[in-house]
Amino acid sequence: MARYVVRLRQDVERWVSNGLIDTGTAGKLLADAESRDRQGFGSGTVLAMMAALLLGAAILIFVAANWEAFPRLLRVGALFSVIAGGYVGGAIFKSRGHRAIGEALWIVAAAAFGGSLALIGQMYHISGDESAAMLTWCAATALAATVLRSGPLTVAAVGIADAWLAGLLTGGLFSFSHVATPHLFLPVAAVLFAISYWTQSATARHLILLSVIAYASWLVVDGNIVENGFVMACVSAGLFAVAHVAPREVDNVVRLGGRLPVHALIGFLVAMALLQIELEGEGTFVVAASVTLAGIVAAIVLQGRTSRGLRWIAYLAFALELCLIYGVTMGTMLGTAGFFLFAAVLLGLLAVIILRFEKRMGQTRTDEGRA
Amino acid sequence: MTSGRKLIFASVALALVQIIFLGWMIVDRAAVLRDGREVLLKVEPVDPRDLLRGDYVILSYGISRIPLSMIADIDELDEELATRTTIVVRLRKAQDGYWEAANAWVKPPPAPAGADEVDIEGQIPALNRVHMQGEVRVTYGIERFYLPEGEGRAIERDMGTRPFAVRVAVSKAGKSQVKALIDGDQLLFQEPLY
Repeated sequence: MARYVVRLRQDVERWVSNGLIDTGTAGKLLADAESRDRQGFGSGTVLAMMAALLLGAAILIFVAANWEAFPRLLRVGALFSVIAGGYVGGAIFKSRGHRAIGEALWIVAAAAFGGSLALIGQMYHISGDESAAMLTWCAATALAATVLRSGPLTVAAVGIADAWLAGLLTGGLFSFSHVATPHLFLPVAAVLFAISYWTQSATARHLILLSVIAYASWLVVDGNIVENGFVMACVSAGLFAVAHVAPREVDNVVRLGGRLPVHALIGFLVAMALLQIELEGEGTFVVAASVTLAGIVAAIVLQGRTSRGLRWIAYLAFALELCLIYGVTMGTMLGTAGFFLFAAVLLGLLAVIILRFEKRMGQTRTDEGRA
Repeated sequence: MTSGRKLIFASVALALVQIIFLGWMIVDRAAVLRDGREVLLKVEPVDPRDLLRGDYVILSYGISRIPLSMIADIDELDEELATRTTIVVRLRKAQDGYWEAANAWVKPPPAPAGADEVDIEGQIPALNRVHMQGEVRVTYGIERFYLPEGEGRAIERDMGTRPFAVRVAVSKAGKSQVKALIDGDQLLFQEPLY
């Protein structure tokens, strides 16, 4: 972001000297860019967040050590003061303009809440509901995000929900309640998605969409892979189509900076990958592979121009898809040497295609700029 | 009021709500320890480690498996209890001082517990009586005992060689809480209220 402002300043100076804009407009443009830059994530913010996460981890592991040098009540008191100090101190820092420090302190406070839950479980030897404990932590963090209108806390709540889902799916979490099925993730994700509008956290929305794709993949693998995979691919393709036809309207709703097609493409690719692995050795594999390739090409043609990230995901998927087709159809006949030869030719071809494409993309953009 | 002030007030309210919630959890648990009736249970050990909460031993009790025939109202229930359910197990003190399961109900017990009896609440998994060996596994939420880092292994080893017991407090509502870990006749850990 900071680099963007530096570049913009150079451009603005050139525009002023070319007579494209007057100095008043130039000043306004720069002031706007700089004020937005301050809201974004500079390296200071990133370091503050990393420090906060480390401190949070230290708190959790300190609790786990069950160190008896301090009486429990002292440990509880210490954690409660971290919660209070973190939230209130963060608010004071933020209201005085130190946004990064404020947000970092809030993250520490949220971690201390989780640590307190773990400590209470330890104090009273509660073997019960780990799933409920995680969800309580998630809810408390989401509440804090809402009350303090904090983007990073929203992302943290999504992260806790993800950890809960991962724990449940891998069987690492114990639960008493039959309500705590992985399907509970959907309403949780919906609530967090709603909160993310209020806290203006596009990052949280991106993370939620990726998590929903992970959840959907589990659904596909858990059930009838062919049927569910087909549905997931269709839904993803449908989302892509809607986002392509009405980009502005869709982004007014989801507010993802126009990146919904990227998520839709990832969802489509994951679904098709699962489908193809399931269909390996059957006649319908060729159909699935062709649909995947067609989907990748369609994504590049339709949306490649607007998003560089989407192009690179599509290139990567294209390469993987060719490997998959090779592995399924010919891998048995040719040996390792043949595969290396194939890989070399493939990478060479890919390089040529990507280079030509990127050049064309660059050209159309300058053409548009001229027009 | 400026937006900065508002934010600080909001943060104070938030911190209070979260701390009161956690404090309430502690008071709720401490009440079981303080007011609950004591029962002594025989334990059988197993052991791993919880990354977030440190060392603990997993405790399994004599009352962790009860015969299906003990559940008095099982015939009133469906052949297949599709989900986890709560069960009430009535404990009775045996000659040797340990408490053992005497009766169980999935619905509330028809009569209150007698003077030498205690009702404890547990959870049973989804049942399919056709596939069961005539026994059901009950969890009470007291299946862990947390220890200072590094002490889990030694206790686990000792548990294999001699009998251990756990003193449990059971509240009127049937909620249970580990009060003390006992190695033979020797008290190993006694839990303070807070």
